[in-house]
Amino acid sequence: MAKLRYAFFPGCTLESAAGELKVSTEKTCKALGIELAEVPGWTCCGAAQIQDIDDFLGVAINARNIALAEKAGFDKMLTVCNTCTLMLRTAKKRLDEDEALRAKVNEALVPMGLRYEGTCEITHYLWALVQDYGLDNLKKRVKRPLSNLSVANFYGCHILMPPDVMGFENPRNPRSMEMLAEALGARNVDFEQRLACCGFHAIYPAECEALASNGVSCLTARAAGADCLVTPCPLCHMAIDMWQADSQKRFDADITMPVLHLPQLVGLALGFTPKEMAIDRHVVKAAPMLERKLT
Amino acid sequence: METITFNIKRFDGERTWNQEYRLPRETSTLLGCLTKIREEQDPTLNFTSNCRAAICGSCAVQVNGSAFLACETQLDALLDTYQTTTLYLEPLNHFPVVRDLVVDFAPVEKGMRKVDAWLCPSKERRDHLQSEADFHKIAKPADCILCGVCVSECRELAYDDGTYLPPAMMNKAYRFERDSRDGERGKRVLAALKNNLWKCIHCEQCSSKCPKKIPVADEVSYLRRRAIALGETKSEGARHAFSFYDDVRATGLLNETMLALRTEGLGKTVANRMPFAIRMVAAGKMNPLHAPKPVPGIESVRKLYEFSQKMEKEV
Amino acid sequence: MQTYDIVIVGAGGAGMAAALNASKDPSLSVAVLSKVFPTRSHTGAAQGGMNAALAYRDPEDTVESHFFDTVKGSDYLADQDAVEFFVSGMPELVLELESMGVPYSRDEQGRIAQRPFGGASSPRCCYSADKTGHVVLHALYETCVKNGVHFLEEFNLLDIAAVDGQLQGIVAIDLRNGEIVSFRARAVVIASGGFGRVYWTRTTNATNMTGDGVAACLRAGIPVKDPEFVQFHPTGLASTGVLLSEAARGEGGILVNNKGERFMERYAPDKMELGPRDLVSRSIETEIKEGRGFGEGMKSYVLIDLRHLGAEKILERLPQVRELAMNFEGVDMIEEPVPIRPSNHYMMGGIDVVDYKTCGTAIDGLHAAGECSCISVHGANRLGGNSVSEVVFFGTQAGKAAVQTAHRRQLGATDRLEELEARWNERFDSLRSKREGASLYGIRDRMAKAMWDGVGIFRDGSSMEEAEQVVDECLEAYRGAVIGDGSRRYNTAFMNYVEVGNVLQLAKTVVMGARARTETRGAHSRQDCPSRDDANFLKHTLVSLDGGAFKIGYRPVAVTKFQPQERKY
Repeated sequence: MAKLRYAFFPGCTLESAAGELKVSTEKTCKALGIELAEVPGWTCCGAAQIQDIDDFLGVAINARNIALAEKAGFDKMLTVCNTCTLMLRTAKKRLDEDEALRAKVNEALVPMGLRYEGTCEITHYLWALVQDYGLDNLKKRVKRPLSNLSVANFYGCHILMPPDVMGFENPRNPRSMEMLAEALGARNVDFEQRLACCGFHAIYPAECEALASNGVSCLTARAAGADCLVTPCPLCHMAIDMWQADSQKRFDADITMPVLHLPQLVGLALGFTPKEMAIDRHVVKAAPMLERKLT
Repeated sequence: METITFNIKRFDGERTWNQEYRLPRETSTLLGCLTKIREEQDPTLNFTSNCRAAICGSCAVQVNGSAFLACETQLDALLDTYQTTTLYLEPLNHFPVVRDLVVDFAPVEKGMRKVDAWLCPSKERRDHLQSEADFHKIAKPADCILCGVCVSECRELAYDDGTYLPPAMMNKAYRFERDSRDGERGKRVLAALKNNLWKCIHCEQCSSKCPKKIPVADEVSYLRRRAIALGETKSEGARHAFSFYDDVRATGLLNETMLALRTEGLGKTVANRMPFAIRMVAAGKMNPLHAPKPVPGIESVRKLYEFSQKMEKEV
Repeated sequence: MQTYDIVIVGAGGAGMAAALNASKDPSLSVAVLSKVFPTRSHTGAAQGGMNAALAYRDPEDTVESHFFDTVKGSDYLADQDAVEFFVSGMPELVLELESMGVPYSRDEQGRIAQRPFGGASSPRCCYSADKTGHVVLHALYETCVKNGVHFLEEFNLLDIAAVDGQLQGIVAIDLRNGEIVSFRARAVVIASGGFGRVYWTRTTNATNMTGDGVAACLRAGIPVKDPEFVQFHPTGLASTGVLLSEAARGEGGILVNNKGERFMERYAPDKMELGPRDLVSRSIETEIKEGRGFGEGMKSYVLIDLRHLGAEKILERLPQVRELAMNFEGVDMIEEPVPIRPSNHYMMGGIDVVDYKTCGTAIDGLHAAGECSCISVHGANRLGGNSVSEVVFFGTQAGKAAVQTAHRRQLGATDRLEELEARWNERFDSLRSKREGASLYGIRDRMAKAMWDGVGIFRDGSSMEEAEQVVDECLEAYRGAVIGDGSRRYNTAFMNYVEVGNVLQLAKTVVMGARARTETRGAHSRQDCPSRDDANFLKHTLVSLDGGAFKIGYRPVAVTKFQPQERKY
């Protein structure tokens, strides 16, 4: 297999609250022989917020992000955040389908020495492993099958929808996370909130709703026998991990549920220690559970 | 021949139970299967349908936790999607259930009243003209068949206290706000705002599941931009969006440390967020002393802001 | 018992147009009963558009031309005074709907767009893409909500109470709680839709198009006018009857029988698949009748093959038609031919309206509008684009007239209402407890097959005689039918029972009207009487129910301006 090489778009959270995701993404990619080169000068994708203020700007900043990757000679950019993936892919789709919009954006970019060409695809870590790297190849690299670990996969919305932008799998019943976890030797559990929303994008105006939903996610995952939630999105991670103590206040039953980033799960199977995957950087501590479950 | 099991949630006004029916697998729509069950196995099973052609909006039901229009959904497609021979059918979420799969759509009329979902013709209007471009602005939202799929799938409504405006009504608000013939532009924006416009979580369920492919989540963004254009910038949702907008201009990156403060204001943050902040700092997730430095090339980002602000465009 | 000044039955195009006009008078109480949520009504399924001689696209177009086209299309059976009234009012009505919010497609100058339509000598069909009925229905509903119209949803009409030609009110069932409710009213407008379901699955009509209002009128003493005139569409999907757009043939689809033959070569060697609708329909049915179709009985079909167009052309020109066949029939036309068969589309006949200006009937206080009514503006054959126009136009007239009626009439006696309410209560109770009996759906399917085979596209004396016998047997069997659901709450089986009873009675009127009309006129095409007979049949059929017996009578056609000529296109 030719060496996989991606322009890497970390997204804001990896620079702050989800620093552990950057660590785990970079370490697992290196271990798998996947080259990541951080896009120089990338900015926030707009986070499903900026288009609510300025629609054109929401497209333009991502045209710039993609153009930076194109300029650096990449034909594929990798993200580890559902929303970054959606924002970048939405911008790309609109630019590719709307010539006038593309011309307008380039009118702004060209004086900066940039041009959006449309030659760089956008993918997500999960898709890259399933589609580009291949699960059979991944299986061969597994040093520590996670056979004692039961995982509840929490997809998040933006890696699935809208399907005309994302299109990787059917949003009514996606399978990629289960397939990946299976390749790592973990046991998948089905639970009611597998396709729920973490509520992150309105976590202030609709905090009650998010806390209630995430509490139910934890509870139903526990009831299904899960040891942890796994998510491909740092925003889902924040909403469920960082706010879990607030969710708990709404429930009598103990909802405690550690949440792992997808690359952390991959890393554990590749033989990294929880500390190497910076799992100690979560609010809900996963270490005691992992100590028991990792053999 | 393969046998397909339909596990249907029943309700008779008092009691709820699940009942299983079996049919041989054959090419049929989901509605065809339901009709066959009612006519050949159980006349007490109730569901609604009329046109069979995806225009009347009567027959939406949930299958395996997701809403479909029964008349336009092939059984084979469902079995393929769910990789199963057992389908679980339930009535739509977020509507009162009358019996079995039948729900009461009366809340739709109430929702329409909340956003004045009708044309208020401009008083000055003397002709009956509308440009083709203006027609195209309302053509897509006017496709709505009020089937309730988006309402059922909406993740905000799943845990809402009953005050949020369902996506179908967001679409109505958008449809009339954008009608060039209307004399009360802005009215539906303010109505949507009053009904928690900023609570939409952009989960994209509405846009993704709509049988008519109406991009409702994008319409919500439009309504928010219009609300801001009307000077409505003080709500938490608007302030939250502005935090992102301002941070990207300042440094290219979000300053998470300041997010709560700027969204909720100093008072509420101090009152509510201290335990949260302490948790973050303890986990190493937040460093109150750290503020992002501007990314390389931040000048070009700021130029994009200037470019966009100078551009002539609709909100 | 509830009391309103005006009760409107049905919330489609006609019912809501009536409601909007009736509720303009604040001194009157108005209720609209609908067996479905208003926007579920069948008006929404109309695709093409609505005719109005606005003369935008063709400046030469005139109301008179629309008048003539409609009369000619009707094969001279339409009442010309009514047609003239109708077409004259249409331009203004379309503008009124536009002001109400209907999103019409536009021309380059921003005027309402118009397109050509079958049988129209000018492009006068106003449209909104291919969803005209849908947008009109929703704009009417939105305006009704705006104006505070009072809807009683999921109320199913059971009967109309009238004694000696005087209306007392109506009886209905509130489906949600199973209560039989009487409504006393000064004026009632029936706007309950057509009865294409006499052919059950072989119709493009919604499942609830069972002519409840027409049958209730029949039982109350109002005849069904011209029931034998039935319009068919050549290409319904085989399993459901859902309409497959004519574009499939227009783009080059080939009709094939079970021998793989392109059979249109035999029937229309020049025009082939693009021959007129009735010819194509008859050709398909001939193939099936002579054993060259696929499948059995009501599930027989032929194929329309588009594969030779290639994936690219199909995706470019027929994306929606392809999606429709995939969704509703489970067939991808890029890879497989699509099973199709003609399908019933529209009933020209209906409740006998005697005053076209008020949509009044022989019962004082009772008005009727929409597909349930026969005014008659369609005569023996309705022109495309005239149905949505008709429902909104005459719905409006009926609503206005109902206001006058309500001011003029007092609330009458209630004896008949009470009697009917008691009778329905008794019937509902006994059906709910009944355990054994004939299958309702079996009876319905037997009737539909007899109607399709005998009084469908092909008609001749002997086939219709057979059909009438079966319909009579079904009417008899219906008395012993069982519903199998003991619940009061939302008893769909009971609603189906009422509906099947209605279509059975209406099937009887169709077959009687068709047997007695020994000519071919418009959509009524008899193999044994292939020509039009103006000397004997330039008249409306009236089938009535009198003391349990069906009777047939006639009334002259109103001919004002256009003397009958041979109908050639």
